[in-house]
Amino acid sequence: MSYAVLACTGLDKAEGSVTREVAIRLAQETGAEIVCPVVLNRTPARYKKTLAENRLIVVDGCATQCASKLAAAKGTKPAQKVIVSDVVKKSGGALEPDLRLGSDALELARKIVDDIKAAETAESKETRAAKETPAVAEFESPSDFTVVVYDKYEFRVPLTGFLFNANDVWAQVAGSRARVGISDYMQQRLTDITYVDPPDVGTTIEQFDEVGTVESTKATFEVVSPVSGTVVKINEAVTDVPESINEDPYGSWIVELELTSWEEDQALLVDGPAYAADVERKAAED
Amino acid sequence: MAETTFMGVPRSKIPWAPTIDYDKCDFCMECDEFCPHRVFERREGDVKLVVANPDNCVVFCRACAKTCGPDALSFPDKPETVALIKKLHAAEGESRTEEGGA
Repeated sequence: MSYAVLACTGLDKAEGSVTREVAIRLAQETGAEIVCPVVLNRTPARYKKTLAENRLIVVDGCATQCASKLAAAKGTKPAQKVIVSDVVKKSGGALEPDLRLGSDALELARKIVDDIKAAETAESKETRAAKETPAVAEFESPSDFTVVVYDKYEFRVPLTGFLFNANDVWAQVAGSRARVGISDYMQQRLTDITYVDPPDVGTTIEQFDEVGTVESTKATFEVVSPVSGTVVKINEAVTDVPESINEDPYGSWIVELELTSWEEDQALLVDGPAYAADVERKAAED
Repeated sequence: MAETTFMGVPRSKIPWAPTIDYDKCDFCMECDEFCPHRVFERREGDVKLVVANPDNCVVFCRACAKTCGPDALSFPDKPETVALIKKLHAAEGESRTEEGGA
């Protein structure tokens, strides 16, 4: 697998300097080609071949996500994304606000590079495993839909087998497990989905916690979990091809969880017909 | 129009909305451009952005914070809010049953 790395390299804060260090190290350690954001912005043709032939790793310093937005503007999609400020937040620490890299910043860059490499290794293993293991048939595709028509839009809602929270996220339960995805209404609100960032397998999620994010050309959507449980599977078919959510929102589950308090969770969810009524109201308000 | 509810609980009883840390905010307006629910409003003067319509904020949505470079947006504690909603939800359910039974 060959890589290209696009880092924001921002001089706005220390996190930007860290992205530059991450890009340099990735290039040294994996042979990744560095995509200079300034050149990409000015002369995208320079990287046309690089971006077509390699998995793109995007490293942003902060939530402004200049590198991600630049990539989207140039019509390219990241295979993996890291936001340095998120990594800092998750570790519970803080970064010295010095644009020159101190020892803490270098250590942080080291860790991020290792994480990126580990995620890439896991990715290729999982891709192989997915090809070998046949799909489990216990989660059935929805067959009966109701359609909410609003203006020129049509929003489909499965009548049975799916429960929804008020944040437009569905759960489909089979045995002790649930699959989670976003509704047809939400995927149409988001428009073209470009990136799905799921939580790690093994993460414990409480009902209404974030269970990943879905990004489109228009917005970032926090997937609010309808259920409590432990993440046991990520749908690689969806993380690899995010637009499959646009094509088939109720087949494109994002994560599968082992449920921990389903009895209790259900009290705060609604069924298909009730959600369809919600969609009708929301569509009229927007 | 009927009062909006979230999971059967009147929205106005749920204190979920962003808080702007004005020491950090640089008024780049990314959050306002992002949010389709008109939670924020722009103002003239030193404070150029305020949380004008907190009840428009989608409960548990924190997406605007993900657009904030200076990390100036914060939200209430999620587990506490969940606990509150569950309590109010149960209370609403009881009052509905009473009405139905009367």
